[in-house]
Amino acid sequence: MIKKTTVISDTKRILGQLPTIKADVPSFIYIAMGNARCQKADLYVSNGDHVNCCQVIGMRHGAFFDQPIHATVSGTFVGFEKHYHRSGKLVDFIKIENDGLDTLDSSVKSRSEEEIEALSKEDVTNILKDCASVGLGGSSFPSYIKLQTNETINTILINGVECEPYITSDHRLMLEEPEAIIDGIRILMRAFSCHDARICVKSKYADLRGVYTELLKRYEGEGISLCPVGNYYPQGWELEMIKSALGISIPPGELPSKHGIIDFNVSTVYGIHQNVRMNKPVIERDISISGDGVCFPSNFKVRVGTPIKTLIEKCGGYKNPDIPKTFILGGPMMGASLPSDDCIITKTVTSVIVLNHSSYEEEPCIRCGSCVLSCPADLLPVDIMNAVKAVDKERIKALNPLKCVECGLCTYSCTSKIQVTDYVRRAKIFARLP
Amino acid sequence: MEIVKETSPHIRRKDSLVRMMMDVIIALLPCIVFSFVLYPLEALKIYGISIPTMILSEFIYVLIKNKKPIDYINKTTFKEKFLFAVKKYRLSNFLVPLVSALIFSLIMPASASWYAIFVGALVGIILGKLVFGGTGSNIVNPAALGMVFSKLCFGSSYSYSKTPFFDVAASGTPLGSISTSISNINDYSLFDLFFGMVPGTIGETCKIAIICGGLFLLIRRAADWRIVVSYLLTFTVLMLGAALSVNSLNPSVGVFQFLGVNFFSGGMLFACFFMMTDPVTAPITSPGRFLYGALGASLTVIIRIFGALPEGAGFAVLLVNLVTPLIDYHKWSKEKFTLKNILPTLCIPAVCLVIVVLGVLYGGVIHA
Repeated sequence: MIKKTTVISDTKRILGQLPTIKADVPSFIYIAMGNARCQKADLYVSNGDHVNCCQVIGMRHGAFFDQPIHATVSGTFVGFEKHYHRSGKLVDFIKIENDGLDTLDSSVKSRSEEEIEALSKEDVTNILKDCASVGLGGSSFPSYIKLQTNETINTILINGVECEPYITSDHRLMLEEPEAIIDGIRILMRAFSCHDARICVKSKYADLRGVYTELLKRYEGEGISLCPVGNYYPQGWELEMIKSALGISIPPGELPSKHGIIDFNVSTVYGIHQNVRMNKPVIERDISISGDGVCFPSNFKVRVGTPIKTLIEKCGGYKNPDIPKTFILGGPMMGASLPSDDCIITKTVTSVIVLNHSSYEEEPCIRCGSCVLSCPADLLPVDIMNAVKAVDKERIKALNPLKCVECGLCTYSCTSKIQVTDYVRRAKIFARLP
Repeated sequence: MEIVKETSPHIRRKDSLVRMMMDVIIALLPCIVFSFVLYPLEALKIYGISIPTMILSEFIYVLIKNKKPIDYINKTTFKEKFLFAVKKYRLSNFLVPLVSALIFSLIMPASASWYAIFVGALVGIILGKLVFGGTGSNIVNPAALGMVFSKLCFGSSYSYSKTPFFDVAASGTPLGSISTSISNINDYSLFDLFFGMVPGTIGETCKIAIICGGLFLLIRRAADWRIVVSYLLTFTVLMLGAALSVNSLNPSVGVFQFLGVNFFSGGMLFACFFMMTDPVTAPITSPGRFLYGALGASLTVIIRIFGALPEGAGFAVLLVNLVTPLIDYHKWSKEKFTLKNILPTLCIPAVCLVIVVLGVLYGGVIHA
């Protein structure tokens, strides 16, 4: 079929209607020592120590920033255990025995309205740094670095598009906590002294549009507006969203802040609201568990550090356990597949998707061009694949595979079921070689 | 419960090569039915020779290509080797040569000898496809190559005879009579041309069947509309230029009559819908596909008006197939439409239009 892929069929319509269930905090909580951006970490507590909820118990060291580690429950530190991290690696996790009290650390204090209005951009930056606020849409890029930009910001875009199929956690969050999200936006607008913020949502979600048009009437004159964008995939990609919302095409590799635009995910904004209002790090997050491999797909509000196995049990367990499953953290298009279900919810896990595994038989490429038509970065995936097969480094470099965002559309739309995205990933490695 | 690790993305579009090939076969059905109605015995002979030839060649190719890895400890018997290779034979290995064979058969004349058909089919599949590495690797359309080879070698023995279905005074194809003199267009009525009641190859004369099949292909997205649209547009524009020049020299030739006869005669529509749109031999980018269609149509018109042979579509398909790697050259081909991309698509037909008009006016193609 020679066709540009725009819409990916999914089960969102049903899952988006289900309310978020507040999951119980398990008796043991696991907190990752390192993550994809920070490999090393120091620990400030030792075995048997009592920790409070939201207490800083360590420090992760990344390439260009440090990130404090917060305990997400109160209880006793009982050692380390190895589990799978979101990135697909086996990582040391700090194990904390939950005492069920949730004693808050002394650092958590609510700020009054006057205090918040007095905060400068530097103050907000420091608060976010201390609270380890990161991009919760999945990028886990530290938010405070985004705030440190020296460019004048004219527009703040709030990314509520959530274009991947099967995921509805942002959708539910936007429906259930709209006041908090708008508060987070106001904090950011004050910090950047910018008077234009746009909440981007898919135009097909009438419920979201209704809630926000109604609510934003209370904040008239502040410059917050709702911006319905397209329903296609990958509308949630930063550059694609900016193009739809503002009509500006930014070449890949350039920072949007250079054009006076900055964008945040809705859950990040919700996190920033908590960080600034209560000086509290993100200890809870919304996730969706879905896919055709679980009995009852649901939305959960869970404590960071909960093992995913307990959540799957709450969903009624696996459907048809004799069929092999693919276990995905993140969306089915870009998420990482894990070799085991023994993994832990971290701050940046948006969803857990369990699919019945289906293997596809590769046919020879017939150059139908669907991948070329579908590619949002205007690349030629089939050419890149042929160049990789021929190990033609010059041609690979000329085809510029580093523009690829690995959205997965080339594989998704391949008539011959070839894993084109894998070839492009290999081309990216080639292109980085000197 | 088993958990399988794989790389993203984890879901796929509902689509397959088999579906695409089945679509082409379904789209060819009206033409096939028409060929049986018109030439029952000859059609049976042509299909009976070309289909087994192409499918068997592909089967032998699969056997040769898939060698069992050498086992140094146990000696592999011939049977094991054979079964290993046979297991690699898939449904697509059957359907792809079937499509080639059907298209090849439909563009052969009923009078072709069994030997001409056999050699054409063999050359088409082997030299046109298998030597390059089978499905997806060919640079020319196997059906077009087979037809052109057979026509060049055995063409003098072809004759386009009458059948009980139509009885016409003139002998030879409509394009054949145009070829003797370009203004010779009134031998056949447009109605006969449209419904295929004229001599010609067994499958490409009935335009209504071709258009139905072609529309089906476009609706099912098994063919790219960009190629079809640009081909038909360019063809119409160039033929309009030719018609106006012919009309200025010989006012008895009506512009629209000339245009209609050229549009509905020969293998132009068939080549446009079923041969140009073969994705393997077409460029991969959208601007490239527009250029490809325009080039194909320009060549068709030029060969038709100035060529020694009456029909140009098959040759044009072969020639533009050879240009595809040039269009796809990685430093030039971009998916985005830019002025640089669009310019050749506009310039080449414009240059061809000038050639056609000047050629008709001063080239001496019109014999009184």
